[in-house]
Amino acid sequence: MPLQLVYLGRNLTRNPLRTLLTAAAVALPITIVVLSSAVIDGINLFLDNSGKQLRLVVVNRASIVALLPEGYRAKLEVVDARRPIHVCGQRWLGGQLPNDPRPLSTLAADVDTFPAVFPDYLLRPGELEAWQTDRQALIVGRGTATQFGWQVGDRITINPSVPPYVPLQFHVVSTAPDAVDTYTLFCRRDYIAEELKRNHYMEDRVSLFFVKCRSASDLEFYRTAIDPFFANATDETMTQDEKTFMNQFITQQFDLPRNLTILCAITVLVATLAAANTMSMNFRDRLGEYATLKSIGFGRRAILATVQAESLAVCAAGGLCGALVPYIAFTYTRLREYPVPLIQQLQIRPVVCLLAVGVALAIGLLAGAWPAWLAARLKPVDAFRALE
Amino acid sequence: MSAADIELVDVRKVYRKGRNAISALDGLSLHVAPGSFVVIMGPSGSGKSTLLHLVGGLDAPTAGTVRVGDAQLEQMSERGLTAWRSRHVGFIFQMYYLVPVLTAAQNIELPLLLFHMTGRERRQRVRTALDIVGLSDRTDHRPSQLSGGEEQRVAIARAIVTDPDVILADEPTGDLDARTSEEILSLLSLLHAQYGKTIVMVTHDPRGAAHGQRVVHLDKGILDRDVQNDTHAATAAAHK
Repeated sequence: MPLQLVYLGRNLTRNPLRTLLTAAAVALPITIVVLSSAVIDGINLFLDNSGKQLRLVVVNRASIVALLPEGYRAKLEVVDARRPIHVCGQRWLGGQLPNDPRPLSTLAADVDTFPAVFPDYLLRPGELEAWQTDRQALIVGRGTATQFGWQVGDRITINPSVPPYVPLQFHVVSTAPDAVDTYTLFCRRDYIAEELKRNHYMEDRVSLFFVKCRSASDLEFYRTAIDPFFANATDETMTQDEKTFMNQFITQQFDLPRNLTILCAITVLVATLAAANTMSMNFRDRLGEYATLKSIGFGRRAILATVQAESLAVCAAGGLCGALVPYIAFTYTRLREYPVPLIQQLQIRPVVCLLAVGVALAIGLLAGAWPAWLAARLKPVDAFRALE
Repeated sequence: MSAADIELVDVRKVYRKGRNAISALDGLSLHVAPGSFVVIMGPSGSGKSTLLHLVGGLDAPTAGTVRVGDAQLEQMSERGLTAWRSRHVGFIFQMYYLVPVLTAAQNIELPLLLFHMTGRERRQRVRTALDIVGLSDRTDHRPSQLSGGEEQRVAIARAIVTDPDVILADEPTGDLDARTSEEILSLLSLLHAQYGKTIVMVTHDPRGAAHGQRVVHLDKGILDRDVQNDTHAATAAAHK
């Protein structure tokens, strides 16, 4: 092995604990970068899918939590008879299992138009028929089904987070194997309406309408035509394409992409400072060594490369660990089945890992820059005098 | 085998510490013949190490000229001096300054990385250097596994492995006991006697003076005494 590599390797093991802690200080932020990128990827995938669906979302202009009359559906369907659409009213239920604190994302949807508005559901034999004939039918996102161990045919009870506030019985009719959304549960709104009525709640209102258009031009037409149609009504509407709606929803609720980017930047900065501190300590410890190397003829470039190579090697090792651990965890273990709201499943792409290692190398370059510069500019005479 | 002469003409070196100017060398002129062994002595602060640093191209004079062989050092750039040192000067320090994570052989091999030579050539040179300093059996030992005298021998091997014209030793026995000091001094005498190297050694140790052909005494940055050593001939003959 070339002596330069031997020297590099021995330098890395000179103070193993220091090297290990520095690598860990880089690995952790890189893991955060990788996971954050996966979350942002997941959100973008979700938004891209929403953008492809030619769907509009109609909500109450006053607030997303204010409901709309279910009668709006009939009015929506006749805004322009020459541009046929499918309208699916949905009411938010949320919910939990009786003895499980994990939240569920359950929506009650219009039974007749749901298959047309959400064509990636109920595609397997018998699913559509079961949805249409069983008023307690429940479609469970496959990620959620895996998480709770549910299968088609299971009977489950959900306690809604909103009215009617009574336990509701459901039959799983599909685990939505073809849907992009692996998290959401859909039940029939007629069943929920009956329960609302029985418990003396208003049953004829919905949280939102999904409007499925036939073409991009129809989508653009309805995007601007619906709101004027309900102008000055008691419940005015706000219509957005699904991607904009979801993006706005995410931004208003927690703005994950922006906050994660800030978090990543801060952690990378902290890692850079930690690594720079280590490299500075190494430089101070080896003052005599660098002075000797310069005395015997090693030039600035060689000294600079020696310090930078060590910094890069420590940070690259940390970066590789930081990228590989989440990649393996979310690719080859059961963690990959764990559903996350909106994001569905964390899918860590190899290119993200490569970019993260690139970030780690950048940390190494920055961390080593100052001590490398000091070492390269070091005057042996001054160093020897300082060491006397 | 090669050796170079050294010539300093009216050399001044002033260090500045804040507003204070400290004169380390004050108009020193000195000529060292090729292949000679000169011992520099003097009290602390007399300019001994400064002289060594100037001759080794580690520092530049404030005024005057320093020539080693054909190289006019005060006219050379830092880059040029670095390259020149790698080929023409071997340094030996009081504190040895070996790389603690490398073996004796690897420490000796370090300066050879600056030369275009194959791994086999480098290893051959390292073996020869280890033979000369008598440490053939300590090839794979790290500095922490060597005694002080052995460490200094490795440092000497590192200094001679490039076959330099000049060997500059700064208090090479300052950290060693009397017996080991004598061994190191004998080794330097051997390098001078058998290989004809120009050696300039700074020392406080009067025993070291016995090994030089010439003893130059400095005081307050000027040449105090320049004495030819009569005992050297006998010492040199013993090594030949």
